[in-house]
Parts: sequence; C-alpha cells; structure tokens
Amino acid sequence: MLRFIARRLLISLPVLGLVSLMSFAVIWLVPGDPAAMFLDPGATPQQLAQVRHRLGLDEPFYLQVIAWYERILHGDLGQSILLNRSVTAAIVERLPVTLSLTALALVFATLLGIAAGLLAAMRHRSWADQSTMVLALLGLSVPEFWLGLMLIFGFAVDLRWFPAGGYVPLAESFSGWWHSMAMPAFTLAAVQVGFIARMTRSAMLEVLHQDFIRTADSKGLPWSIVVTRHGLPNALVPILTVLGIVTGSLLGGAVVIEQVFSLPGVGRLVIGAVLSRDFPVIQGTLLFVAAIYLLVNLVVDILYAVADPRVRLE
Amino acid sequence: MVDWTRRGLLTAGTAGLTASLVGLPCAASAQGTPQPKRGGTVTVALTQAPPSLDAQLTSAQVARDINLHMYETLYARDEHAGVVPDLAQGVDISKDGVTYVFALRAGVKFHNGKTMDSGDAVASLERYQKIGLAKVLLSGVDKIEASGPLEVTVRMKKVQSNFLDTLSSPGTPLAIYPAEETRKDPKDFKFIGTGPMKFVEYAPDSHATLERFADYTPNPNYTKRDGFAGRKEMFIERAVFRFMPESGARNAAMQTGEALINETTDGPTAKKLQGDSRFQVLKLLPFAIQIAKFNHAQAPCNDVNFRRAVAACLNMEETLAIAYPDIYKLDGGLLYGYSPYYTKAGTELYNINDPAKAKEWLANSSYKGETLTFITDNTRPDTDTATDIKEQLGQIGIKIDVKVSDWPTVSTLGFTPNGWHFWTHGLGIEPYEGPAKLMSIWSNGISQIKDDPVIDKLYADLLAELDMDKRKAIFAQFQTHMYENAVAVSLGNFGMFQVVSSRIKNFAPYRIPRLWGTWLDT
Repeated sequence: MLRFIARRLLISLPVLGLVSLMSFAVIWLVPGDPAAMFLDPGATPQQLAQVRHRLGLDEPFYLQVIAWYERILHGDLGQSILLNRSVTAAIVERLPVTLSLTALALVFATLLGIAAGLLAAMRHRSWADQSTMVLALLGLSVPEFWLGLMLIFGFAVDLRWFPAGGYVPLAESFSGWWHSMAMPAFTLAAVQVGFIARMTRSAMLEVLHQDFIRTADSKGLPWSIVVTRHGLPNALVPILTVLGIVTGSLLGGAVVIEQVFSLPGVGRLVIGAVLSRDFPVIQGTLLFVAAIYLLVNLVVDILYAVADPRVRLE
Repeated sequence: MVDWTRRGLLTAGTAGLTASLVGLPCAASAQGTPQPKRGGTVTVALTQAPPSLDAQLTSAQVARDINLHMYETLYARDEHAGVVPDLAQGVDISKDGVTYVFALRAGVKFHNGKTMDSGDAVASLERYQKIGLAKVLLSGVDKIEASGPLEVTVRMKKVQSNFLDTLSSPGTPLAIYPAEETRKDPKDFKFIGTGPMKFVEYAPDSHATLERFADYTPNPNYTKRDGFAGRKEMFIERAVFRFMPESGARNAAMQTGEALINETTDGPTAKKLQGDSRFQVLKLLPFAIQIAKFNHAQAPCNDVNFRRAVAACLNMEETLAIAYPDIYKLDGGLLYGYSPYYTKAGTELYNINDPAKAKEWLANSSYKGETLTFITDNTRPDTDTATDIKEQLGQIGIKIDVKVSDWPTVSTLGFTPNGWHFWTHGLGIEPYEGPAKLMSIWSNGISQIKDDPVIDKLYADLLAELDMDKRKAIFAQFQTHMYENAVAVSLGNFGMFQVVSSRIKNFAPYRIPRLWGTWLDT
C-alpha cells in the first residue's frame, strides 16, 4: 500500500509541473495588467508604468518564469501582487472556508444522493423512482448562482432563517458557522445530488439483479438488510468513482457559490486574482487546487481497496 | 476654489465659515429634529475588496471608501470640491507663488496615541514623493522641510497653481502618517492615521472593520460636515465594510438588516425600494461623466472631420437613458455643475444629434467604410453605452465592432496606439478635482494617444497662472477646444443610487459612504 501511495505521488509531480507551466503560459497570453487595479480610469501611462515597476511586472517573461520555478521548488508560491502577502498565506487563510464549504456540500450530496438513488432503485419503475429521477434531473439542470439567489431571497430575506451571506469561522461559533454555511453548501450540493442519485440508482439496479442478492432474499433476510448489507457495499465502487469526480466539481463550483454568498474562500481568491491579473495568486492557486484534486483521486483509489477487497492496489 | 496668490489668505476659520454656508446637513438639531446618538455598528456593503489600505498607494474608489475614514490630509475638499484646510490650520503663500508655509493644527492625535507634528507631515510627503502612486503630483516640489514644530515649508521649483489642488486630492490621498511608519517597507506598514475612525481588522475578501477613534478631536475651525473636510464627528462606534460583489446579495443583506448601507444598487431595485419605509433611496448625481474617447493615433480617428461627424450624430439622452436609467443628467460641461470653474463654453456643440450634419462631416473625412473597433469593459453601463453608440453611428454608415473585455484588459489596451478606435468609460474623480486634474489626462496625448499642442499649451498656462479669473478663462478655452475639435465625446453626467437604512440618520450621499456626522437610531 505504501509503495502504491509513493508511486502515485511520484506520478503526480509531472502532472503538477504541467499544470503550473500551462497556468503560467495561459496567463501571459491573456491581455491585462494587475497594475490597472490600483488605478482609476483616468490614470496616466506614467502612473501605470510606476506601479508595474513597483510590482516587478516590467521584468522580462523568461526571468519571471525562472523565478517562479525556483520558488515552487523551494515550496514558495510567491508573493501576491495585490494582497500584500504571500500566496501561501493568502490560500491558507481562505482554506477553512472552502474546505468546510466543500466538505459540508459533499456530506449533503452524498447523503441525499445515495438515499435518493437507493429509494429509486428499491422502488424501481414506481412513482417514487420517477419523481426522484425528475428531481435529480432538475438539480443537474438548475444553475447554481440562480438557485443560490433564490435560496437567499427565500430563506434569508423572507423567512430570516439564515444570513444573506458572510462567513462565521467554526472556531468562533458552531451555530454561527452552521448558519453561514448551510445554504451555500446545500446550493453547491444540489447539482451533485442529482449526479450521485442517478449513479447510485443504476449501480444498485445492476447489483440487485445479481444472484447473491436473490440468495440473500430467498433465505429470508429483511429487504432493508439485503439492500444495505449486501447490495450497497457491492455498488460502492462506481459510487466512489463518482464521489471523486464530485469532490473536484464541488471545488470548482465553490468559485461561484463563494461569490454569490460573499464567502471569503479560495474560489473568491481565484476570481479576484483572475479579474485583477494577480498572476502569482492565479498560478499558486491553480497548482494548489490541482494538488488537492490529485490527492482526492489518490484517496478514492485507496478507498476502492477498502470497499472491495478484490481490488489489489499493488 | 480660491485664488491662492494673496498671503495668508486661508485661515481655517474663514474657510470653515464659507463651508458652513453651503446648505450642508446639520448634525445638531434644529427644532424638532432628532439629536445625535452615540454607539452602534454600521455595516456597509461594498462591491469589492480594496487593493490596499495604504492610502498613498492606491487610487481605487473602493479603497477611498474605507481609507478616508482613517486618514487625513493637510488640505482636503469641501462638499463642492473646494480646497479647504484639514490637518493644516492654513497656508501662507509667498508673493512669487513658490513657497508654501503650512501651519499645522495643534494637538492632533494619531491612532497610536502620538501627537502629530511637522516631522510626521514632512516624512509623509517625502514618502509620497518616493513611492506614492501619484508621486508625479509632487514632481514640482523642490524642497520640503519642517520649519517649526508645527510648521512645514514647501518650496516649489516653479509656480504650480494646482499645488493645493493636488495636496487635497482624495484620488490618491497625500495622507499624513506617523513618521516611524513612513520609514517602514510598505508590506510592514501599519494602518495608522489621524482620521475619526481607526483600523481594527482586515479579513481578506470578507470585510474591514474600523472603530471610532476616541481621542479624535474634530477640527474646531468648522461647525459642520463638509465634503472630506469640515467637522468630522463620529457617533457610530464601529463600521464593518463588507465586500459583497454580487448585487443580489447586497440587496438581500439590506433587506435582512445585515447591511445598513448599500454603496450602489441598480435602477430597478432602487425603484422597488423607494416606497419601503425601512430604506432611504438616495441619488448621488453627478458621480461621473461618461466619455467616449477617440484614438487619435489611428485613422480615421486622427481626422477631425470624422470625429466631428461622430460627435454631431450622437443622441446623448438616448445613450444615457439606456446605460443609466433614471440616474443621468444631460450636461455638456466637462466639470461638475458645482465647480467654480464650470463653464458652458463650447457646449453648443454638445448633444446636437444632427445626422444630416454628421453625414456631411463624414463625407469630408477619410473614413472609407472600414469596420472600427470600440473597446469597453464588461460593466453593464459601459457595454450599453458602446452598443448604443454603435447603433447610432450605424445610421450614418459607420461600422463598429464592439469588443468587451474585463477592466485590466481594456485599461491596458486603451493606453496603446493599436487595437482600438473608440473607448468609453466614466470619469469620476477627475471632473471632481477640477480643471488641472481633468486637463492633465488630455495633456501629452495621454488619453487620445497623440500629442495635442493646443491642450499642452493650455495646461502649461493653467499651471503657471495664479489668478483665478484667468485660470477660468484658460479652462473655458480648453473646453471649447475639446468640443470644436471633438477631441473626445462627453455624453453627460451619471450618478448612482445608494440605499441606506432608515435607522441611519443624517446620511448624505457623497463620493464615499461617509459615516462621520451620521448616527444610528436605536
């Protein structure tokens, strides 16, 4: 197992290198200047040049690339142009928001998605199956930002159950954290619920038609035990694959949700950095998100073996 | 503004009295009006996070919203952008116009408890000269010295009539910091000023919190709030500036009471909230002038007949009504109506909307039917402006391709000679600051990408002229030149809607969501 993990980590390094190179190249191909963010529309080219010099943006391209790789090899993601702090610090201080949002959304999506998928599979071709699948399709189709705004107007403005936006750290207050995260996490999870539900349904339907299920049923086990003890574990491998993909999608979706709910997370950092051309932050964050994505996939691979002992990682 | 040539003209008392005559909101009660109450927290919903809380290093509007509560300048602008003393008691200008002796107010405290003296003022101005974003503003300064514990002497290289204008600019404020902070690397700079609110915390992408500075002494030379100067009395205990980019979320936060001030909202929302007693919907008009620039380095925009054709064709009202519904004003002046330099000179050519005349000009121009590029940023009003101008010019046969990008892209491209013919955006702070600032962006061909010797001469004349009447005449000539040569097209004034909770009393819309002088009705 350790050799497997070590090998996967080694394979990840070139991927990360490629991601960083691509992010660097793409950013330099896009026109725009972070110095403009410091200035009003009436600013003079001299002022622009002055800010560019102060920020080190007038260095030749190749020097900036070399400096970037030197830094990341030393574990330093560089200094943000606009935030007056290191990229690592900028990511770390926003990470709790994004991680808690993603984790809570994953919990919502997993619980609701698997439950809905199980219900649909167990009541195959019934009204429950049909309505669950219609809801799943609806969840997949609704734009996140629209759903977020609707929830804000419904649950924050009208019912006053949740705040309209903002973040309360978990360390400060659990209740405050829950109130600030529940709506954004649900919005983020909504799309993925549909995805997981559909995948769980089809995986379960396949398993429920297997001989061992018929045997378990024949020997008199209650149907709920047959489904949860024998059916579900055998349907887990495709569901785990989906959960790996879903986690990546949730990280991506957090960008929109953080914007709508004014959450100060990594997604907001990325959006701000892209709009202001804060190159080091864009590069650092992309590298960081790619690393998380690779890590999630590694964890999913390990979980395959846990869920199905027939899978041999070595 | 005032004629600065007379010695000792500016005593703060005089300026303060002048300021008090302009019909400003009054914090103290008239008969039957509520008395100010101290305390409470006000949350202000801002559209974005500031790039910096170091006032000397940014000219972004959102930074101003916060920073001008924390920092002060020697001179500042009153309600109508007039130059008045703030941290200075007054100034004595030599007869030759090159030496300024500033007397500083005594007993002004920094947020760290230190009392401000001339050493702090000199160190702050010197820091600005070195790293200030608009350090070019001080390029005419020969020497700055502390000539007494509370006296600063500034010697100019030559006469620069706009020196006090620049010293009082809220654009990139020449904020006065403690001398020890000015010596630090900007990364280690602590946000310490003399303003009525002091820094508490900054949570990236989330909020900045300020609180009332208990040791703040309002300027005794004034009796009322007045622009960025005047009497700055804080009644509110704490202010949280929350960065909420999504307009729907800002409106929702207002409705739930999580925010008490929404810096800006759109017209339909403002209309919807107008009848709601929980809110005051306020108009901040004028806030900026919408302009369409020509790239004079590119044909056919280098042809005055082509530019005149464009200017003659446009129906400004149509464009403004689309881009800024319910919050615009047709006005050809290149400064705001309240400026003492405001003039109608040349504006007979504003909004003439004469397609026949436009076609005549066009026929005499070098335009050959090619497609021209109109660049604009992706904000709704600027995109609407570009789109409507495209439609209008299409009526006289000018083909335009509108290219929409984000602000960093457009603002980089727009200062280069290639890749664009037209560019539209708002000019907010420049018309507010006065003729020198406005003319500066057209001098040396900065905005039109090609030198205009007439503008350059007028700008030089303005800087060298100390007599106010003559400066007014120079500005009138500049404005006439802008219209007669269609250097650029001014579409008119636009503003913005601000929504303020009815619990906030004595709030008056201004260029920043000003909290001093307001209080919370608990």
